[in-house]
Amino acid sequence: MPTATETKMERLSVLVEKPIPLEFDVGNLCAFDSNPLDPILYAEDREKCLQEAARDGAQALINQILTQVPLKSTNDGVYAELPAPVTPLPREKPIPKPKDPTKWELFAAKKGIKDKQKDGKLVYDEEKGEWVPKWGYKGKNKDGEGDWIVEVDEKKQKAGTEEVDPRSASREERKERIKKNERQMKKNEKRSVTGAKPWAPKKGSGVGKRR
Amino acid sequence: MIRTVKPRNARSKRALDDRGAKLIENQKKTLLLSGTSTSELTRHALGDLHALKKPHAIKFTKKNDIHPFEDASAFEFFSSKNDTAHIVFASHSKKRPHNITFARTFDHKILDMLELGIDETTFRPLESFKNPKFAVGMKPMICFTGSLFDSTPEYKLVKSVFLDFFRGETINAVDVEGLQYMINVSAAEPSDRETTPVVHLRVHLIKTRKSGQKLPRVEVEEIGPRMDFRVRRIQEADAGMMKEALKKPRQLEARTKKNIETDIIGDKLGRIHTGKQDLNKMQSRKMKGLKRGPTDDEEMTLVDAEDDKVKKARLS
Repeated sequence: MPTATETKMERLSVLVEKPIPLEFDVGNLCAFDSNPLDPILYAEDREKCLQEAARDGAQALINQILTQVPLKSTNDGVYAELPAPVTPLPREKPIPKPKDPTKWELFAAKKGIKDKQKDGKLVYDEEKGEWVPKWGYKGKNKDGEGDWIVEVDEKKQKAGTEEVDPRSASREERKERIKKNERQMKKNEKRSVTGAKPWAPKKGSGVGKRR
Repeated sequence: MIRTVKPRNARSKRALDDRGAKLIENQKKTLLLSGTSTSELTRHALGDLHALKKPHAIKFTKKNDIHPFEDASAFEFFSSKNDTAHIVFASHSKKRPHNITFARTFDHKILDMLELGIDETTFRPLESFKNPKFAVGMKPMICFTGSLFDSTPEYKLVKSVFLDFFRGETINAVDVEGLQYMINVSAAEPSDRETTPVVHLRVHLIKTRKSGQKLPRVEVEEIGPRMDFRVRRIQEADAGMMKEALKKPRQLEARTKKNIETDIIGDKLGRIHTGKQDLNKMQSRKMKGLKRGPTDDEEMTLVDAEDDKVKKARLS
């Protein structure tokens, strides 16, 4: 048998009835009530009028959330899974543009060259009989840089007029390759900023004709 | 334009990347500024808006000689320096007393501006309501009451700016316990006497009571601030800029899955490709009449005889 307090509780209405049904943007936890405020009450007791409108809006929005949105109960509490917001609101910043392809990427795409499969940083060194890093500390690319004796490449020795220490030549070559790569990176960056045509083959050069 | 800085370490690079354009954006931050002359009321209002927006707001204390509707370049500078897309500017003059300007930026350029005058007779700051407030950083519920917000350009802008300003973070799930407070923006209907009605901003704490039904009974309690605004000057967004700002990234669009449909009842229907059926290998019903005659291959008859045995065994 229901007690007096229970029956009283049952009388509390949870429905919001308005001539124009409210619109909701549950993703933003937002309700839009296009019904006019009660003009008589607004003139007499403005705060009461606004309070009542607010209560109705709150009740309607909470009803909408509790009935129309999937609820998930976890150990932390009950969660309402909100849909994406629907009201169009401006972004803060423009949509990020995809990075411009580098000169090499364009060339590779044209020639149909696929990226090499990455197979880790380590490579097997047959002389040492163990796995060593390809680059970096004790990297494979530094092979022969600390050698006591270096075989002199006669051709290069003849071609270059200035004296080059044959023992440091290998290291200098590597450093030169790094610098070249940096130059290319800078060029690509500059090209993406200025928007210059990235790669135009010269007429009659035959590049791009082969298929 | 601020010079582009190249990050020197990973931490500063992360910080710089966080400021850059993103597919899923951060919550817009707010910068609160004061003009050269402010009233006590506007200072209170600015502080209260700061309290509502914490922790995603920065408030500056120094005076700034800015006249937004004449030259808003200072706003753009502040926006790019502090990475704030909302700017709230307080000023007070004889011509426009108790003035609050809301400005939005897109890509650190002014998108639109809305100038509101606070009614000094009805204003009540946050502290004047002596009751418990909501926890910092909660996502508010927002309610707009009045048909004006869908019809008149000024009020449409009010709705857009306030919704953008108060909505907080975009989240995909909310704790039901976390629905703590509601921001109500309402306006009466325009009449002959009053063509541009006051916009009322009220903030209420939500209290739920058992109703004996599944849904709770909701009651509200005002926690302040209480502000009544009159719309003064507005600067609407440039159409091209707004179009750019409203663009939705294609990467975030839900991909339609091929061959999967949902019918009216809500059942999921799928269509699959099964390949071509080879009718020659199909097992048809076994009958004595269809059996190969004695002229056929001996092996086949043997197999068939075995099959028959199996069948008989199953039947028995």
